[in-house]
Amino acid sequence: MTEGHQESGGGDSFDLSQFYQIFFEEAGENLDLMEQMLLNLNLETADDEELNGIFRCAHSVKGGAATFGFADVAELTHQMESLLDRLRRHELQPNPMMVDVLLESADASRVLLARHQTGETGEPPSNADLVRRISELAAGGAPAPAAAPPAPAPVVAPPVPVPVAAPAPLSANPGVRQLEIRMGPLERPDQVDGVKDLFRDIVGLGSVAEVASGRADTRVFHATTSSSNEDLLDLFAFHVSREQVNIREMGAAAPGAATWTDRDDPPPGAPVAPAPGFGFFEGAPGVPTGGAAAVTVEATEARPAAAKTGAAKPAPSPVAAQPEAATIRVAISKVDQLINLVGELVITQAMLAQNSQTLDPAANQQLMAGLADLDRNTRDLQESVMSIRMIPMSIVFSRFPRMLRDLASKLGKKVEFVTQGEATELDKGLVEKITDPLTHLVRNSCDHGIEMPADRVAAGKPETGTITLSAAHQGGSIVIEVRDDGRGLSREKILNKARERGLEVSDQMSDGDVWQLIFAPGFSTAEVVTDVSGRGVGMDVVKKNIAALNGTVEIDSSEGYGMRVSVRLPLTLAIMDGMSVGVGDEVYILPLSSVVESFQVKDDAVNTVAQGSRLVKVRDEYMPVIELEKVFQVPRYDGGKSSDIMVVVEAEGSRVALLVDELLGQQQVVVKNLETNYRKVPNVSGATILGDGKVALILDTSTLVRRSRH
Amino acid sequence: MPLILAVDDSPSMRKMVSFTLAGAGYQVVEAVDGIDAYEKAQSQTFDLVLTDQNMPRLDGLGLTRKLREHPNFKTTPILMLTTESSDMMKQAGRAAGATGWLVKPFDPARLLEVIKKVIK
Repeated sequence: MTEGHQESGGGDSFDLSQFYQIFFEEAGENLDLMEQMLLNLNLETADDEELNGIFRCAHSVKGGAATFGFADVAELTHQMESLLDRLRRHELQPNPMMVDVLLESADASRVLLARHQTGETGEPPSNADLVRRISELAAGGAPAPAAAPPAPAPVVAPPVPVPVAAPAPLSANPGVRQLEIRMGPLERPDQVDGVKDLFRDIVGLGSVAEVASGRADTRVFHATTSSSNEDLLDLFAFHVSREQVNIREMGAAAPGAATWTDRDDPPPGAPVAPAPGFGFFEGAPGVPTGGAAAVTVEATEARPAAAKTGAAKPAPSPVAAQPEAATIRVAISKVDQLINLVGELVITQAMLAQNSQTLDPAANQQLMAGLADLDRNTRDLQESVMSIRMIPMSIVFSRFPRMLRDLASKLGKKVEFVTQGEATELDKGLVEKITDPLTHLVRNSCDHGIEMPADRVAAGKPETGTITLSAAHQGGSIVIEVRDDGRGLSREKILNKARERGLEVSDQMSDGDVWQLIFAPGFSTAEVVTDVSGRGVGMDVVKKNIAALNGTVEIDSSEGYGMRVSVRLPLTLAIMDGMSVGVGDEVYILPLSSVVESFQVKDDAVNTVAQGSRLVKVRDEYMPVIELEKVFQVPRYDGGKSSDIMVVVEAEGSRVALLVDELLGQQQVVVKNLETNYRKVPNVSGATILGDGKVALILDTSTLVRRSRH
Repeated sequence: MPLILAVDDSPSMRKMVSFTLAGAGYQVVEAVDGIDAYEKAQSQTFDLVLTDQNMPRLDGLGLTRKLREHPNFKTTPILMLTTESSDMMKQAGRAAGATGWLVKPFDPARLLEVIKKVIK
């Protein structure tokens, strides 16, 4: 059993563990939403809806954690909820410290939940400091910065009076009271040992001392506290269920004047009934008539002492109806399987289409019509299925507000984060792979691009810099841009650095080519290597990662004004636009995005240089020639013919010319993974099945280009 | 077979309640908030309504008030599932016309026990 987790009481025949997974996901979503809303919260003009929304997130996690027995999560979220409750009732004004502590508490809650989800054992992280800060903020104070973890308490804890934090207590209950708290009958008396810890850990809760109870199954405490009975019962709930707790105010003049809760022994004269934790309103519609002695009928008067002081709770106004999207959760493996099957279907359909070309259309009208329908249906099915894996970019974007806030704060910069096109959809597989490169680019903008506020003002710019992240569909690709209005790239610095590193540069290089230099391995013009970025391992990895996705990266910059990095990706990994070329009897596919041009060549245009490598002159440029026939050792059966077509491809900033026999055409191919079906093959990134059933290898232009360098 | 409407914006709570009720032989319809619940109430008559309090769009109290104005739900037992059973909440519940309340967190056995008392 994980630390801090208890099975809910009385649940022998009910196994709640089947709901845990739903709860973990739900709690995760609530914490994410809470973080998002906190980041978007305008502290001066926070409206009821926003505050209520944030409160509900914490409330929901607390409720679920308590129901399913995750006491540590419930305790922490309960603290958060208390603070948020005061905020939504306008008893407190939100300030940045509150947002910080709530964000940190959400993080801590996630950690606790993750521990439960993976079943980690061992000492859970202590959140006592977070709780202290929340309590102080809730009490209207300004807490000292996070303290070092408190020294472990002595084994035998004498009742140490804990100073009450501030005039306004955790919950609005007037005055400090002396209470007698009876807990029993307890199955295991030691289950309430934790009660004393609560009074020790929670600043402002009060003090407690245990007294003799006279019974083996009962424990009695005397407490001095300004918290309400409700709050105490909530806190104790994680050690002992409510019905077993009896709170009585001591020093009351007469029994009738004591502050009873509905869990107490009933007032004298009432039938003795166990406090049930539920009740019915006398005379209300639907109330059962006659019978059940265990029903506690509620008195009509509100007891003033127990009523909450402070502003009346604002009735949450109904939000304008949002479209409720019906969704179901499906395992990714099922979706992938579906995509695979559809891919196979596309191949089969292509085969049929190819074979039918030799038939006489007149004699096979119905067949041809059927095949035309099939073609259309298959195309539609394919589009539909591919769209299942498409998820909006907002998923990727969502991590940045928080990251930038923390980073900007650490660097002492002011940065505003703007997003555009969050609804643009991208294949899930790509989303996972694009996140790291994008993160690096955004961090780069913040670290190197945006200047310190003073520098910006000196340059006539607004103090707050802006980083914009946008996504849009363009043709068959998605274009993701990271733009900032910072200092931009310095052409001079980059050229100097390049020279330092021995790279071939000239002052005549175009701006575009100069910017591309920063993708060279080890290149970094940062003077100081910060732990944020600047180790120089970033940009080249970014480019490599993007190239691995068949994408491209471009940079545009204007010194003093800012920089823009544009990443272009194919919409999905599974389907590719390719150009097919023939070498001997073999067909190879080149990613269309890497093909620059093609032309026929005469033998004399190709020069052989040292070590047998060949060069071809294309306009004013010499580029290496790669003979695919030799690379793949394609057998030739028709002696006389030789390759005379060059296809120029570009990858990793370099160009090579591939020598092939013929150009076969352009087509969309379904990419099949070779590694999972066979093994990794050099120079090959995948394979596909053509309409005629032949297998065509998809060439890895990056490795081909690298070959030419040796 | 009694038909119960279970309203809660938390999926895990809804599932827990549905499962518990179904296991005890009740038929259950789930709703994700007050508006959803009220819409469902237009086309079905329930023998009991269980509703969470804190929900977006329309909360438990709001739902209770609206239901009591509906001819089919004037005397239907409506139980509020609430994490606070303060007097103010109880007052509000009574004023809205709720039949009673059940404090969260509760365990499944408790839920069934209470339902048995009110369901006809």
